[in-house]
Amino acid sequence: MASVLIIGHLWAVIGRPLEFATQGPFGASPSMTRFRDPVRGYSQFAYLDHGYAFFAPEPGPSHLIRATLTQPTGTDATASSPSPVEPLVRNYPDLNDQWPRLLYHRHFMLAEFLNDIHHPPGEPPQEIAQNPVAIREWIQARRRYETVRDSILNRLQTAYPQATVAIDRLEHRQPGLPEFMEDNVPLDAPQLYFVLPDAPPPLPLEPLPPAPIDDSPAAESPAAESTDSETVREPEPATLGRSEAARDARPLVRPIIPRLPLRAPIEVTP
Amino acid sequence: MSAILPDHDAARNATGNAPLNGMGNAITAVRGATTAWAASWITAWDQFWFTPQRPHTLALIRIATGLMLLYSQAVLALRLGDFLGDEAWVNNRTIAALNRGEFGAPSAARSYLWLISSPVLLWGHHLLTMAASACLAIGFMTRFTAPLAWFLQLMLIHRLTGVLFGLDQITTMLAMYLMIAPSGAVFSVDAWLRKRLAGPIARDARLAWLFPDDSPSVMAAIATRLAQIHLCVIYLFGGLWKARGTTWWDGTAMWFAAANYEYQSLNLTWLGRFPVVFSALTHLTVFWEVFYCALVWPKLTRPLVLATAVAVHGGIALFLGMMTFGSMMIVANAIFLSPDWIARLTDRGADQRSADSSLTR
Repeated sequence: MASVLIIGHLWAVIGRPLEFATQGPFGASPSMTRFRDPVRGYSQFAYLDHGYAFFAPEPGPSHLIRATLTQPTGTDATASSPSPVEPLVRNYPDLNDQWPRLLYHRHFMLAEFLNDIHHPPGEPPQEIAQNPVAIREWIQARRRYETVRDSILNRLQTAYPQATVAIDRLEHRQPGLPEFMEDNVPLDAPQLYFVLPDAPPPLPLEPLPPAPIDDSPAAESPAAESTDSETVREPEPATLGRSEAARDARPLVRPIIPRLPLRAPIEVTP
Repeated sequence: MSAILPDHDAARNATGNAPLNGMGNAITAVRGATTAWAASWITAWDQFWFTPQRPHTLALIRIATGLMLLYSQAVLALRLGDFLGDEAWVNNRTIAALNRGEFGAPSAARSYLWLISSPVLLWGHHLLTMAASACLAIGFMTRFTAPLAWFLQLMLIHRLTGVLFGLDQITTMLAMYLMIAPSGAVFSVDAWLRKRLAGPIARDARLAWLFPDDSPSVMAAIATRLAQIHLCVIYLFGGLWKARGTTWWDGTAMWFAAANYEYQSLNLTWLGRFPVVFSALTHLTVFWEVFYCALVWPKLTRPLVLATAVAVHGGIALFLGMMTFGSMMIVANAIFLSPDWIARLTDRGADQRSADSSLTR
């Protein structure tokens, strides 16, 4: 009996890493998904459902949340004086605000989580127009992102009730070795920060002539200020209704249709 | 680990003794060999999982895990409203929607905490959680407080989706294994109480269960083995994931980890002047993680593997801003230390202290 329990537990321990490691653009390997199914609930409840992809597959860039807090008159959201000032901009995480380090890291993970679950707005692409499962996943992924984003906005709105709150996702990439050693670009150089747009930029209508290759640091200038900052708003009833309809059973085998955008599986790890 | 290898000699003897005259005898021989081979595996399995072990290693890990749980929960308490309740970064409604399956498959990672809005209740619950963690650390009524600490931590974890990371994975994992073993039998308040209540404990089996002694037990062995295997799984998949990345192959991953401004706690960018060093460290990390599950078992390579673990996780703790995570990974690796060795070490220390005090008396 003890051996059976041990084997069942080990099954749960190994099930999620196997399923997670076999994720591809079309979802997880069907065989690994089936393998994990009997112990899925147990591994989720016992918090054994991890992929263990620490700093992998690449130690990539960091992601932050930039909150812009603007008073209706343009005054500082936290200032007691009415003198007009620039909108207050706060980044999460921020070592000056969150101490001890573990508290900072919790905020860091929140920013990474928001970035990981980001899904662009708009109608599903034509490639999946004929597939109801893929369409449903598309809609759900966007709603998941919007729900978490709105929750973060609500938190900021509660903290700064007089201000208009907007947030952006920032990406902070590391300098390459030549940039750092030869060009003396510091780790926190402004040109290493990018505002990530909510929607992908529109595709050009006509093919552009090939651009000359320029691998100088100047070629990677910071993105223009995003115009699609995400502000507080009430949830739309129609959107909530769609959520009810979208609740379903998971298909055993995913259709061979790309889930756009193609991206790495979600798991926030250090 | 060699104990779980099948006894091939036994299998060979079984076939060698059987006279191979005709098909029937051949079948008998094959059946005998198969039976002997299976029996050897079962024996090895039993030896691996059910050979009683002393609880000393688990007790040390219990102290560290309890303290880390307590610290992590105390840090949350600094801004409890940011993480629990209706006004949290990820509020109750959002957490419930994420886990109930409104955006995909539902999850069994349920927590009653997403039903609680009252700050008073949330504070009361959080203080109870911290108290359970403290009891785990000091080993007070561990038979009850260890499962309680694990359960309350689970409820907290399932409420904190979005702000979790490796630290939470490791501490929750260790808390789970600690609760199934008599981890409070030594280095604990329970051990002190056991001495004080020697008479009643000798007469009452329930009290003897509540305050276990530090003799070898099967449950300590199972908890130790489960934690060891789990750690091997973590490193194996950590290594396999790294092996999918380009920078872990071209040797630059260590640079990009060192150059990550948000992680950095101490400046490690001087490594950039030594490409041979940081690329070698990169390759060593992948090799060590992938082969940890094999090299940590032989006595010959175990010290080297564990020393590398201390170096890698110590580096993460010092330079990459994760003192908590790095420390707990080192603590988790201690599961491979022999409990008998720790017992001898602590007994010798106690004897020495006793001798010193008698000399100064």
